[in-house]
Amino acid sequence: MTANLPAGFEALEPFVANWAGRTAADRAALRGAYPPAERAAFHAACAPLIERGLRQLDAKPLRDLDEGERRLLDLFLTYAHVSLAIDVQASDEDRHRPLREAMRVTRAPVDF
Amino acid sequence: MAGQATAFSPVSQSHLDWLGTDPIPAEPYYDPAFYELERQAVFLKSWIEVGHVCELPDSGSFIRREIEFAKASILIVRGKDGTIRAFHNVCTHRGTQLVEAEAGRQSTFSCPYHMWTFGTDGGLISAPDFGQFHVAKEDCSLPKVAVEVCAGLIFINFADRPPPLREWLGDLADRLDTLLVARATAFHEYVYEIDANWKLTYDNFQENYHLRFIHPRSGGAGTGPENPFGYPVRYGFHGQHRTQTIWSNASAPPPPPAAMLAYAAAGRAAAVNGLGVNDAKDYIALFPNFFLFGSPVQHFSHVIMPIDATRSRGVIRIYWIGEDTSASESFAREFLMATARDIHAEDRAVIEAGQKGLSSGALKNIHFQTQEVLCRHLYQQVAAAVERHQAENAR
Repeated sequence: MTANLPAGFEALEPFVANWAGRTAADRAALRGAYPPAERAAFHAACAPLIERGLRQLDAKPLRDLDEGERRLLDLFLTYAHVSLAIDVQASDEDRHRPLREAMRVTRAPVDF
Repeated sequence: MAGQATAFSPVSQSHLDWLGTDPIPAEPYYDPAFYELERQAVFLKSWIEVGHVCELPDSGSFIRREIEFAKASILIVRGKDGTIRAFHNVCTHRGTQLVEAEAGRQSTFSCPYHMWTFGTDGGLISAPDFGQFHVAKEDCSLPKVAVEVCAGLIFINFADRPPPLREWLGDLADRLDTLLVARATAFHEYVYEIDANWKLTYDNFQENYHLRFIHPRSGGAGTGPENPFGYPVRYGFHGQHRTQTIWSNASAPPPPPAAMLAYAAAGRAAAVNGLGVNDAKDYIALFPNFFLFGSPVQHFSHVIMPIDATRSRGVIRIYWIGEDTSASESFAREFLMATARDIHAEDRAVIEAGQKGLSSGALKNIHFQTQEVLCRHLYQQVAAAVERHQAENAR
């Protein structure tokens, strides 16, 4: 199998296809795009890796990240949204989702 | 003792007695006739925030704004001389809109209908077979709209002879100059439409009475046992404008790990940029429809544009200095945008529910308590502007 992510982050490989949003609007939408169990699994896989992952990615300027590193960052950026679902909204997340959909993300500094 | 919260006392009514305590008439929050008066007396005579200079980095950079209250499409352009100008997006030949793009960069603007072409200064450069016309090119420039910049924020004014923007902003102008927004080069943005009057919508964001009910999870340190409603520490009144300094619960549980990562990275960026914390908890409310939150780590603006008496559009921007330079910075920015969006999302539905009640006409009055004084101040400023407008027209 071809690796999609840098070495050391194999645990996140199963989530690349669904959770590596390319724009801020995409990532905001991904938070509510899949069943709660899948969202929780993504959160559980990311949570122990994000601090080390960001530190590793920070070693390079953003523009110099290779494809795999950028994909890892996309996963972490989606995690920013998913964390709010799991860690903040918790059992209110289903009720919160339609409220949030009215807030259209129209611009982000770097949507690469 | 470390971590022990100090006793909180809300701002006393005695400090606010000058604003009165009477009920507020409900009709101005839904009546189309009152909105028409507001349109003329407030929105067509006030400086209205419409953008930021970072959207116009180069000569020929432009943005287009649809301004429903003025029934106008406005083109804001940085000219070859670096000056920012605003024009009606309307060909002076027969009125066709020149530009469809929301933003871009062009050295000239050509009307698609008959190819009249205008420069970035609004002057008519060329028009096919212009000899057949009975007018001078000098008299065919794009109609100008007053535009001025303070702290990087672009304001327009539809009045014929508006006061200088800084005079309009009063003592807040110098304060705005010290904030992140004055040096911002990038931003996140999210937008919402709402079936609600602009004042009803705006008021939601200048009172904290609702926090514990509408934001029980996302409100975080905004409330606490000694301040269960999260009332502000202080209010400030600056002519038509106003400020509040928010309270935060020093004993609140730590935020989730993702938030800690984001706040740490955003804090480092703020320190690198030399941003102070003097205004970190201040909301600045510029009359009539603009907010700016002073926080150097989640520095956001919120403008509420009226569409009609009971429809509005909110535009929220979280401003940043510099492009994303590292993964941690990108994560922090995305997280802080998402947290602000979560909170604003929770407000929209309850504001619409309020509009339904008011639009039924069931209420003659609404009631503002002491800690909703900023809502009272806004209404009074609007009512005073409407009265002045009516008096001027009666002469």
